[in-house]
Amino acid sequence: MEGVSYQRFPRVKIRELKDDYAKFELRDTDASIANALRRVMIAEVPTIAIDLVEIEVNSSVLNDEFIAHRLGLIPLTSERAMSMRFSRDCDACDGDGQCEYCSVEFHLRAKCITDQTLDVTSKDLYSSDHTVVPVDFSDPAGYDSPDQKGIIIVKLRRGQELRLRAIARKGIGKDHAKWSPAATVTFMYEPDIHINEDLMETLTLEEKQSWVESSPTKVFDIDPVTQQVVVVDPEAYTYDDEVIKKAEAMGKLGLVDISAKEDSFIFTVESTGAIKASQLVLNAIEVLKQKLDAVRLSEDTVEADDQFGELGAHMRGG
Amino acid sequence: MAEKKERSGAAMGDCRELQELARHHIDSFDYMVERGLEIMLDNIKPVKISDSSTNTSLKLYLSNPRVYEPLKESSRTKHKRLLPFECRQAKISYTGKFEAEVCFEYHGRAVIREKYNFGQFPIMLRSKLCHLSGADSQKLVSLKEESAEMGGYFILNGLERVVRLLIMPKRNYPMSMVRGSFRDRREGYTDKAVVIRCVREYQSSLTDQSSVTVKLYYLRSGSARLGFWIQGREYLLPVGIVLKALVEASEREIFEKLTCCYDEKYEKTKGAVGSQLVGERAKIILDEVRELSLFTQAECLRHIGEHFQPVMDGLERETYSNVAHAVLKDYIFVHLNNYDDKFNLLIFMLQKLFSLVDRTSVPDNPDSLQNQEVLLPGHLITIYLKEKLEDWLRKAKKVIQDEIAKNNNFNLLSVSDVKKVMDRNPSTSISLAVENILKTGRLVTQTGLDLQQRAGYTVQAERLNFLRFLSFFRAVHRGASFAGLRTTSVRKLLPESWGFLCPVHTPDGEPCGLLNHMTRSCRITSYFDSQGAVKDFFDIRKSILGVLTGLGMTSSLPKFVHIGPPQVLYVLLDGRFVGSIPSSEIEKVVAHLRRLKVSAASVIPDDLEVGYVPLSMGGAYPGLYLFTSPSRFIRPVRNISIPTEDGQNIELIGPFEQVFMEIRCPDGGNGGRSDSFPATHEESHPTDMLSVVANLTPWSDHNQSPRNMYQCQMAKQTMAFSLQSLRFRADQKLYHLQTPQTPIVRTSSYVKYCIDEYPTGTNAIVAVLAYTGYDMEDAMILNKSSVERGMCHGQIYQTETIDLAEEGSRSDRDQRMFRRSNLDKSLHSVIDSDGLPYVGQIIHPNEPYCCIYNEITNTTRTNNRKGSDPVIVDYVAVDTKNKKNLQKVNIRFRHPRNPIIGDKFSSRHGQKGVCSQLWPDIDMPFSGVTGMRPDLIINPHAFPSRMTIAMLLESLAAKGGSLNGKFVDATPFAGSVKKANGETRSESESLVDDLGEMLRSHGFNYHGVEVLYSGVYGTELTCEIFIGPVYYQRLRHMVSDKFQVRSTGTVDQITRQPIKGRKRGGGIRFGEMERDAMLAHGAAYLLHDRLHTCSDYHIADVCSLCGSILTTSFVQQQKRVVRDIGGLPPVRAPKKVACHACKTSKGMETVAMPYVFRYLAAELAAMNIKMNVQLSAGA
Repeated sequence: MEGVSYQRFPRVKIRELKDDYAKFELRDTDASIANALRRVMIAEVPTIAIDLVEIEVNSSVLNDEFIAHRLGLIPLTSERAMSMRFSRDCDACDGDGQCEYCSVEFHLRAKCITDQTLDVTSKDLYSSDHTVVPVDFSDPAGYDSPDQKGIIIVKLRRGQELRLRAIARKGIGKDHAKWSPAATVTFMYEPDIHINEDLMETLTLEEKQSWVESSPTKVFDIDPVTQQVVVVDPEAYTYDDEVIKKAEAMGKLGLVDISAKEDSFIFTVESTGAIKASQLVLNAIEVLKQKLDAVRLSEDTVEADDQFGELGAHMRGG
Repeated sequence: MAEKKERSGAAMGDCRELQELARHHIDSFDYMVERGLEIMLDNIKPVKISDSSTNTSLKLYLSNPRVYEPLKESSRTKHKRLLPFECRQAKISYTGKFEAEVCFEYHGRAVIREKYNFGQFPIMLRSKLCHLSGADSQKLVSLKEESAEMGGYFILNGLERVVRLLIMPKRNYPMSMVRGSFRDRREGYTDKAVVIRCVREYQSSLTDQSSVTVKLYYLRSGSARLGFWIQGREYLLPVGIVLKALVEASEREIFEKLTCCYDEKYEKTKGAVGSQLVGERAKIILDEVRELSLFTQAECLRHIGEHFQPVMDGLERETYSNVAHAVLKDYIFVHLNNYDDKFNLLIFMLQKLFSLVDRTSVPDNPDSLQNQEVLLPGHLITIYLKEKLEDWLRKAKKVIQDEIAKNNNFNLLSVSDVKKVMDRNPSTSISLAVENILKTGRLVTQTGLDLQQRAGYTVQAERLNFLRFLSFFRAVHRGASFAGLRTTSVRKLLPESWGFLCPVHTPDGEPCGLLNHMTRSCRITSYFDSQGAVKDFFDIRKSILGVLTGLGMTSSLPKFVHIGPPQVLYVLLDGRFVGSIPSSEIEKVVAHLRRLKVSAASVIPDDLEVGYVPLSMGGAYPGLYLFTSPSRFIRPVRNISIPTEDGQNIELIGPFEQVFMEIRCPDGGNGGRSDSFPATHEESHPTDMLSVVANLTPWSDHNQSPRNMYQCQMAKQTMAFSLQSLRFRADQKLYHLQTPQTPIVRTSSYVKYCIDEYPTGTNAIVAVLAYTGYDMEDAMILNKSSVERGMCHGQIYQTETIDLAEEGSRSDRDQRMFRRSNLDKSLHSVIDSDGLPYVGQIIHPNEPYCCIYNEITNTTRTNNRKGSDPVIVDYVAVDTKNKKNLQKVNIRFRHPRNPIIGDKFSSRHGQKGVCSQLWPDIDMPFSGVTGMRPDLIINPHAFPSRMTIAMLLESLAAKGGSLNGKFVDATPFAGSVKKANGETRSESESLVDDLGEMLRSHGFNYHGVEVLYSGVYGTELTCEIFIGPVYYQRLRHMVSDKFQVRSTGTVDQITRQPIKGRKRGGGIRFGEMERDAMLAHGAAYLLHDRLHTCSDYHIADVCSLCGSILTTSFVQQQKRVVRDIGGLPPVRAPKKVACHACKTSKGMETVAMPYVFRYLAAELAAMNIKMNVQLSAGA
């Protein structure tokens, strides 16, 4: 049974790549895939975060739950996360989530013995696994401020003490926001901007200027030489229709034609630091694939073909 | 461009403005302790005891009161300070010893003074006796208080209670009134009267705050009656008798004085108050006295004395004229000491009354703030204490006299004997009485103390959040007696209260308009001047009189002036008729007085009220009424008629004078007044007309006014930062927000009142769109991830105090202690060896949290947690006063309360909503440009009908502010304030333009909208969405405290219906209206299910022969020999029922019925009524 194949071969072009930031183009696919990728990056790429806190001593001003909540939100380096097990399906420890395959133990001991306020930070957390440590935000160049201390957990005054044991586990952002590796993931449709040059030439320079300025972001500009309106940065366009409204108000309907390219997207990914932004994208694709595998029908279900028809073939990877 | 306010770097809690908010409470208490008590004691009438057998007499009186600062009880001589936080934790009262000397004066001998302990007197926090007095924020923190503690309240049994400010009629001002109830006094009375509430004054203008109201009624005959209350009864005297009794004056003299206000020449001209009828009435008044054949002063006095001797206490043996003098002194115009003054005032009141009758002047409105003042805590306590001390002396007299009569050995001359007898009347009960009125708010008094209500004088100052706490000190109540009134006239917002009472900050519903709040600039006059020294009213008045005579006032003494308005205006100074000023001069005099008021150098106090009522055509009764008295409302305005030097033109004005003043708004316009009345004053800032809480609403001038009122309500029920000193508190319930923020859009008051110390909410990114349908009807969708990251997280702190010494019977008090049972090992994980829980322990419902051991019975008992949610032990405090055994502990529990479906939130614009879903972050719409997802989604339908434009502005401004990294100033009425350079704010572009441009400059849409993409599909939403940060408050109403479910459970003993009450696991009433709805739907089966099957379903046996359901009973089965069939279970004999009355079981039937029906039958039977049930097959 041969059907029409809807298979497409999306292309990715990376524009910018930093540890915690990535910008890339995704072409030849549609919004569903782009959004699925976004959703997976935010909610389903696993990371490691503190999930269980046993407090031995807490004489700080913050109560136990508050401190536990703050600990949970500290991003931990989670390169291992993809290969780790979820505690709930860990066989080694019968699901109590305390074995090396599914958990990392942290210790924190801090006591203030001076009159100066002691900042307890993420640097004070001692990990049992050197690959899973609180994310280091200090400037690698180091000249910004030499004693960068990490994320403050609590401040202690003289005599106050905090002593605890924390277990970090693998999880996904769907369960709790602390496991989300993405600070922000967003995509926009690539805009397709066509200026009606003939109509544009009917405008005076002032009119052009005011039309160009009607956009809050700098999409258009006037060429200083030719005095023609040019598109300088199409991606700065926010689909706010300001220029179209302006053109309408000027009585020049159709001065510019802007449409969104339905099949190309520009992604911006910011990571919390738990995973590198590039890795985040790769992991997301991996997770997405796993999810699709889960719904893939087995090869020999004839009745499924009856049921789904062409769709069945498609889902089988046709 | 909106101004951006930088957060001032003011030291923590060093907030002067905040301290001023409760100043009036503290000042009045300080004055009471410093001077008030002494004045009061000195003016309590001594009691005289005489022993006829030995012919000795003893005079008892009090003097030299002294109140000590709060100290700890201790066996050793060295006392330690008792600090307020200790009282709160130990649930005791913050009190200091109250001592006074009782003077025993035997006839002709030297006075013997004995110190008496009058018990433990409650001390107001931050008053001069309080240990916190004068402490700066650092010291306060070291004393475990708030760094911005303002004081002004009492601590009684660990609870913080404030005295409610009550509206009183203005003291010493004769008010003309028309009231229907006056007609019912007696036959011949009309509805018109002039009423004056006189506050008692003694030599050198000292007062003890007790007041006596005198009413002058107009009779249909043309005469008048003077009414006053003695011991709960009103006495009415013909006014002529009083006039004659006060001064020796000829009838002609009285006649002339009464008629001087009428001059034919001026009749019907502007300002004329008299009419020709005045002469007739004067004649009638004089005739009345003549008819009683009273001609001279002496005769009149004798007449009064004769009639009043039975009711005057302690004057049984005095002459009639002495009794009459006592009546005149103690009940008539008690604010005046001089008979001439009283006479003049009475003449003035008669003239005002006649003018009211002749309609040449309008009645004064008793509901208007113009004629009102306020009852302060210090004054209330002084009045009450005076009566209690008088009672105590009277009782002392009685016990001594009883002793004299009974005991022959008793020697009145021996002070020790007398003292021993007096001890039967414990002196410590005095302070107890004061403590009780503060604890309960109830006055226990026979006379009523000239106060209109008996209960509701104090309220508990809840620290639900800081704004609520603060409002207790600014609230002014109209009086409990008005709450029940069906008329709404007392609740009206009158223009007279402009600037003094906030028009916005009043609750909606039952106390609406009765419970008002003072504006932020409004203050109450006190006995202390601005330097903190006690004012000398005698000197003040003398200098005012000096100034007035210097300006051309004709003095009234010794002779009353013989002309009246409109030629001259009468001058009353604190209710004393002092003279008259020619009406041509009056404007100059008033202007001069105001100038003196403002200038710092003059002796005229800055809070003098210059109540100049100008001549008018039948308006208010003209005159110049000057008030120096305390407990008046005052507020600052700028006097622009005075050439200004370095801002020295701030004048304090009162509500009485304000009505007749020309005050303009500082926007530079003339406010529409004509040129003939130029403005003399200017408001200092338009937001001064709002209360502190109302001042916190950003751009409230852009909102529909009811929304601002709702916000004032909701700000006070926000779950916020209630306290900084949370660790040292043992409040029954405290709400606490875990991660609050300061608003980006803020008014200038946030800095002025250090609101950042007590933030109330979170800046949430709010998108306005209809998404998923879960935001219908004021529901709102919260972003689940935002909540998980800590948005609006909070706790409730709840403290249980367990005092073994208090509970249970007296016998086993000492045998109980906190100790863990060694037998029950299961307890050991929850309870420590001392019988108390571990700190940090989670306790689930119905688990024990403390263990009490009884030594005698050798048993242990556990206290178990009630409620439905698990709690965490936050703190355990023990009282170590009792050295032997631990008797008293505070256990503080923490209920974590993170947002869930059903919790209530609101913005600062009266827009409240309930969380309907915690929506996954990925499903929320997102912005393509920034990737932002909203924290919260509200429905656009929340705006059109409510018109909370300021909320939209806030969203815009906060967006711009956060892009700029600066706070945005949102002080309302900014457009009507002059800037420093004298120009008003550039109003050429509107506020929206400013905000729009700010957004545009950062590359955002001018209107604050953004293109959002569906989080589910990734496609662009069809329209642009309004999105931006709005400050959201979490309200204290949470589902966890309110949900109620039940399937089956406890039923009422009598009716067998489900019980009510959430705590006891009861059901929700399916009431009449619900029943009606069911009937209307024809849902008969459901109705039957609710009202019968799920309620008191009962199967009754009915005797169809006699129709009774009560006479049935089970018949005892006689042992019948039943042959058991092997292998089968024994035959179950059917239960047999028989009717007692019919002695048969023939007609027995079973009928399903509600159990209450059977109960009804039983009740009726008890009344000897038989109920017959007729059964028939088929309906």
